[in-house]
Amino acid sequence: MERTLQILNDLVETGVIKGYAIGGAIGAFFYAEPVTTFDLDVFIELPQTKGCIVTSSPLYEALKAHGYRESGESVSIEGIPVQFLPLYNALIEEAFSTAIEKRYGQTSTQVFRVEYLIAICLQTGRDKDLTRVKMLLEQSDIDRNLLKDILLRYNLIVNGIR
Amino acid sequence: MESDNPIDPELQRILAAKSMRRKELAALPIEEKIRILVRMQEMVAPLIRARGKEAVVWKIDA
Repeated sequence: MERTLQILNDLVETGVIKGYAIGGAIGAFFYAEPVTTFDLDVFIELPQTKGCIVTSSPLYEALKAHGYRESGESVSIEGIPVQFLPLYNALIEEAFSTAIEKRYGQTSTQVFRVEYLIAICLQTGRDKDLTRVKMLLEQSDIDRNLLKDILLRYNLIVNGIR
Repeated sequence: MESDNPIDPELQRILAAKSMRRKELAALPIEEKIRILVRMQEMVAPLIRARGKEAVVWKIDA
């Protein structure tokens, strides 16, 4: 796992990606009990290439050059299937821009704040997401004012907590 | 909120203990949580594969 994070950090340092942040189930691991998952969800910001085109091709080419192969929707990096996800809406963009530094062993990494993980789960709204919301609310230290602000701005109050 | 049908005290004790255990798990270091995850993946993967789906157990270095 630590080696996987080091590779992600290398991708940032070499400019292949502008930045990354961990979300999904593993993001929630930083705040709550572990639950079964098989993917590491990594949200990425890609640099613009010539002609202002944003493409993930250089990322996958760089990973391939290091011997990491695509398998289904993910790329196996040091034994861990990593799913690269774009910043697909305004809430995700905000979660990304406010991600915080966490450590895994000796390695620094970026993780979504717990308040954004909750909001994203409410927005996604699958059964497993709502279960994760309950878990995060029960087990993590939450900035209630920040959470309320996010939920209000993204019109998520009706779907979940007050 | 009080219920008209109170939970059995023994069940209440068990639920409280479960809740406490989950909070203890939440407080573990991330590295330990990942080790627990891999053990859970090892348990669950055969069941997922039996349904014809792919399940890759993580290889972790720590």
